[in-house]
Amino acid sequence: MANLETSLKECLGSIDGATAVALVDYTSGMALGTLGGGKDFNLEVAAAGNTDVVRSKLRTMEHLGLKDEIEDILITLNTQYHMIRLLKGRGGNGLFLYLVLDASRANLAMARHQLRRIEGDLEV
Amino acid sequence: MTRVTTTWTADALAALAAEGATGALSGERGIVYLKAGRVVHVESAFAPDLGALLTRSGAVPPDGWWEAVDRGGTQHRVGHRLVDSGRLAAGALEVCHLGALFDAAYFVLAHDTRAQRFRPGAVHWLGAVRSVPVDVVVRESGRRRALLDRIWPDPAVDTLPLTRVPGTGSAALPARRSRILTQVDGVRTAAQIASALACRTYHTLVELRRLAADGLVRTAVPTAPVPPPGPEPPGVVWDDPDTALLRRLRDALEAL
Repeated sequence: MANLETSLKECLGSIDGATAVALVDYTSGMALGTLGGGKDFNLEVAAAGNTDVVRSKLRTMEHLGLKDEIEDILITLNTQYHMIRLLKGRGGNGLFLYLVLDASRANLAMARHQLRRIEGDLEV
Repeated sequence: MTRVTTTWTADALAALAAEGATGALSGERGIVYLKAGRVVHVESAFAPDLGALLTRSGAVPPDGWWEAVDRGGTQHRVGHRLVDSGRLAAGALEVCHLGALFDAAYFVLAHDTRAQRFRPGAVHWLGAVRSVPVDVVVRESGRRRALLDRIWPDPAVDTLPLTRVPGTGSAALPARRSRILTQVDGVRTAAQIASALACRTYHTLVELRRLAADGLVRTAVPTAPVPPPGPEPPGVVWDDPDTALLRRLRDALEAL
């Protein structure tokens, strides 16, 4: 069974176009694990910033009285996709996977499908 | 052999990290376990431990947890046991463990408490799951303190029994906050509420501080007056009549 490191490696290795991934606690904004990114893309900063995106959406849903849950949030840039997937499960409460994809190589449907499988190893 | 320290916990940890030390540093609010200068585990009475989180959430049945403790405890391999027996994915264990580690570290490190002693070579029964650099743990604890203080600057909410403010309702609260509010009964502390809901302590603290900021919750006992500020002399002697007895008891337990 995969541990945190191998799950993150699998995201980059098996998802076409994936260039960076982070597992983030959105209550505190802390990244529990990061992989990829490199010096031009600071994943810690991205993790903290996207925490605000998730919190803001959750708050809006609360204000609207929506009882639904966020499955994912997709941000489309000119050359990249940023996918935020909230982990479900009892222990995954408050965590999301943040995936950066190269738009020219990525297949969004496949990426979602594969992320769902990888998440299974991180959920309690 | 143990070393008695009187420095701030964060400073003592930094020094131990620089030495690459292995062992357990006890502070006023919990114990930090180090291996080769990195933090491998933190426990605090103010935050439910990994076992409480896993069993109360139903992720691991209580007998499964205790079986892992029985069989793996003496070899310090409880975490491995849980994974090897197929009860938990390795990644899920690591995520839960890191959550519990940072939750406990907030209590041990965020408020300037003193380190009391270091037991070189001491190992936690859970065994190695993940390790985190000392500076990351110290920085994150400080950041959490700042985040909580921005919501409502009263750290007493984190540790004292909490009560609902009479005459206030709970209408129009988000689901998680109202679930936490229903657990506030004048007796329970944040840690007990987190444990009852199988919710991470820091998440619970955030909601409780928000409830305090909204005027719905306050500490059940009046907060003790803050002593006048002033540097404590180094090597302060703890004026506690039970210390000798506690030490004997602890030494006896350790010798078991």
